[in-house]
Amino acid sequence: MSKIRPQDMGKPVEQVCQIENLMPLPAPYDKPGMEPDFKAPKDSWKENYCATLDGFVGNDTLTRPKTKEEQDEMVKKFLSGLEKLFNADTNRGMLQPFMLSFEYCAKCNTCADACHVFKSSGEAEIYRPIFRSEVLRKIYQKHKKGGSLVNRFLGGDIDINYETVMRLGELAYRCNLCRRCAQTCPLGLDNGLLAREIRKIFSMEMGIAPKPLHESGTMKQLATGSSTGITKDAFLDLIEFMEDDLYELTGKKYKVPVDKKGADILLVHNAGEYMAWPENPAAFTIIMEEAGLNWTLSSDMIGYDNVNYGLFYDDVQGKKIGAAQLKAAKDLGVRRIIQAECGHAHKASMVSQDRIAVGADNIPRESCLPLLEELVVKKKVFKLDPSRNNFPVTLHDPCNIVRMMGIVQPQRNVLKAIAPQFREMTPHGVNNYCCGGGSGFAIMNSFNFTDFRNKVSSRMKFKQILNAFQDTIEDENTPKYVCAPCSNCKGAIRDILEFYQATAKFNVHYGGLVELIVNAMVQFDKPFMEFLRDDEDMF
Amino acid sequence: MFLTLFTYLSIIAFFGLSLYKAAQFAKMPMHGRWELYPVPKEADDKRHYGGSFYEDVEYWNKPRQVSHVGEIVDMLKEMLFIKNLFVNQRRQWWICYAMHLGIYLLFLWAAMLFVGGIIEVSGTAVTATAGGIAGFVYYITLLSGAAGGILLAVGAIGMFFKRIFDETLNKYTNPNEFFNLFFLFAVAATGLVVWSGDIGFNYGREIMVSLLTFSPIQADFALTVHILLLGAVMIYIPQSKMSHYVGKYFSFHKVLWENTPNLRGSEMEKIVKESFNYQPKTKTSWSAPHINPGAAQSEK
Ligand code: SF4
Ligand code: SF4
Repeated sequence: MSKIRPQDMGKPVEQVCQIENLMPLPAPYDKPGMEPDFKAPKDSWKENYCATLDGFVGNDTLTRPKTKEEQDEMVKKFLSGLEKLFNADTNRGMLQPFMLSFEYCAKCNTCADACHVFKSSGEAEIYRPIFRSEVLRKIYQKHKKGGSLVNRFLGGDIDINYETVMRLGELAYRCNLCRRCAQTCPLGLDNGLLAREIRKIFSMEMGIAPKPLHESGTMKQLATGSSTGITKDAFLDLIEFMEDDLYELTGKKYKVPVDKKGADILLVHNAGEYMAWPENPAAFTIIMEEAGLNWTLSSDMIGYDNVNYGLFYDDVQGKKIGAAQLKAAKDLGVRRIIQAECGHAHKASMVSQDRIAVGADNIPRESCLPLLEELVVKKKVFKLDPSRNNFPVTLHDPCNIVRMMGIVQPQRNVLKAIAPQFREMTPHGVNNYCCGGGSGFAIMNSFNFTDFRNKVSSRMKFKQILNAFQDTIEDENTPKYVCAPCSNCKGAIRDILEFYQATAKFNVHYGGLVELIVNAMVQFDKPFMEFLRDDEDMF
Repeated sequence: MFLTLFTYLSIIAFFGLSLYKAAQFAKMPMHGRWELYPVPKEADDKRHYGGSFYEDVEYWNKPRQVSHVGEIVDMLKEMLFIKNLFVNQRRQWWICYAMHLGIYLLFLWAAMLFVGGIIEVSGTAVTATAGGIAGFVYYITLLSGAAGGILLAVGAIGMFFKRIFDETLNKYTNPNEFFNLFFLFAVAATGLVVWSGDIGFNYGREIMVSLLTFSPIQADFALTVHILLLGAVMIYIPQSKMSHYVGKYFSFHKVLWENTPNLRGSEMEKIVKESFNYQPKTKTSWSAPHINPGAAQSEK
């Protein structure tokens, strides 16, 4: 179906879209055979899930209804959820932005060129930002006003069957919620927001959301304290390991303050860091301690994990977690919370959950980036030798921190002070492209969804990375570093570098900002970052 | 007298329904923050690159700087020039802007007809040879009316055909959206026909005098058709998607540029506190098991 239109979403075809003309990548990935092909969906996935949209299965709880009753029930529930989006009681927090984006689209198509998913896929129609929104509008129009001729004239020309509903449930997870499209809309409308509202119908009404976000995400976090499943005891063990590692690496005994009542700063990490990138919280430890700050970590329920996946798909879960995180800080009696390098945690705690508490419950939340700028650039607290970072470095702007919070310069000012070969991606700052892992994709690994992420949604970012390093990309002796001050983005970038074998073949690495700062500290003999340790003559 | 009453009705309907629509949006509950940078009301040294107060350590302890000038300048750029479309879709901007500029000019034209009507009621003829304010009003009316009518006609029919022939736009355009453009074209085209018989828009001022003195409008067939179409479109616009002039205000001001933080002791804190007292008006709630285990249970 190459000429698919929104009204075709319910048509009985095996797959409405096939990605055919992927956006070409720059050298050295412009030659054939440089990237793995898509994996075709297996028959069992087709039978049990929704592989009829584009052949990928991302929503692993969206199971195919078997009987006519189940099919009807799915449609009925979807429609009842859809109505709740328009109700001030059930969609209080988003009613106005939702209604504006729902009602006023002029179909000028300006937003399409801004969307990396659409462009990377070779402009596959279903990923056009307004495609999904238009399907939603048509369903609503048809549902509310019926299938009369007048109503078809007004756009209600779509079949509402369980296939339409399932495909829309998948399509809601083909958008990174990066909102780059909204920046270009002459009417200020937001197709990312509409994708998220669709996710809400599935999650909040039908109980359907990808397992990594819901079951092993927010539900697990509310039950155990962290979506990683790390309990308080496990967390305390991890901190001990981290202290040991720090001693081994630096020869200095750092004691991490945990649950220090009345500290000035409660520092919160994405708990995934302790497992996937322990060097990041370790570098934070060095920075906080060497700067002599009065800080602490919390081992309290939810106090040690700043993630809030509710941001991606469910307002109720978002609020529950946001409130629990504030409570942990209040119980410790800290003056402020500092969010470490996690983009969605930044946005969830400072923006999305900004209006859930008042007075003493409303503990101020800040980003780590201005603090790092203050320590490194303004107060020059550390003795740093930028030549220790003398390799090409580029910066990825996490959408949640930059486009959605306006934190643009502090991280750049730090990099300019510590990385002599820092270069920008194009475009960057508030106009950056998403890493392709946004809105939960970085942790959604079921079935063949990783193919979609690595080859489509992360493709533009990979292109930007390659372009930023064009001068040395094929020189495998020169290490290159993508600085991504966000856990989620790091996850997506880790996967693309692996998928395209860019680390193995071209010496491209990634990590956070604090690692680079610590790497430049003259007081340490050994490089902080592992990929430099074999190359000690740098120091 | 029918035409006089109908014209009154259409003017009242246009403004009344537009305000009603705005009031409906205005009374919606305070929503969660959903801003998007650049936010033009941020401080002078930050807004040009899209920065915000979050770039400052302990921002919550510092006085918040808001640049209303920045906000107004950006708003005017968007309103008067449709800047976003110009920057991101130059090819479509020309035709779309022609249409919108035509509408703006026609608002000016209507205002000038109104002023001209008042001048005539007070006893001075508004003609090409009149001196002073009456002459000035005559020429401004002439220029804005002629340019506005032509731009609207060309823009509306141009967009209509663009939507027919551009495969992508065509795919996303519902029949009623074609109808809207054609409707605008028809109003402009009938206006141009009437104008061709009276280049100085004297008929327009006569209508204004009739409205001001509440007397019957004298109109031939072409003018009657034009008045009926113009009135109908004015009643129709606020009820259709063409009322996006209302939506646009809220999208930018109340959503994308609304980033007021809820700081202790702030005005926003009072509003937030107030919102905690909200009593739901319906008994509806979401039904997923993690939100409403009872609902999930009773369905089993
Ligand atoms: S840019 Fe805005 S108005 Fe134009 S098609 Fe996209 S969402 Fe609709
Ligand atoms: S939010 Fe991002 S991914 Fe989603 S449609 Fe817009 S530009 Fe594309």
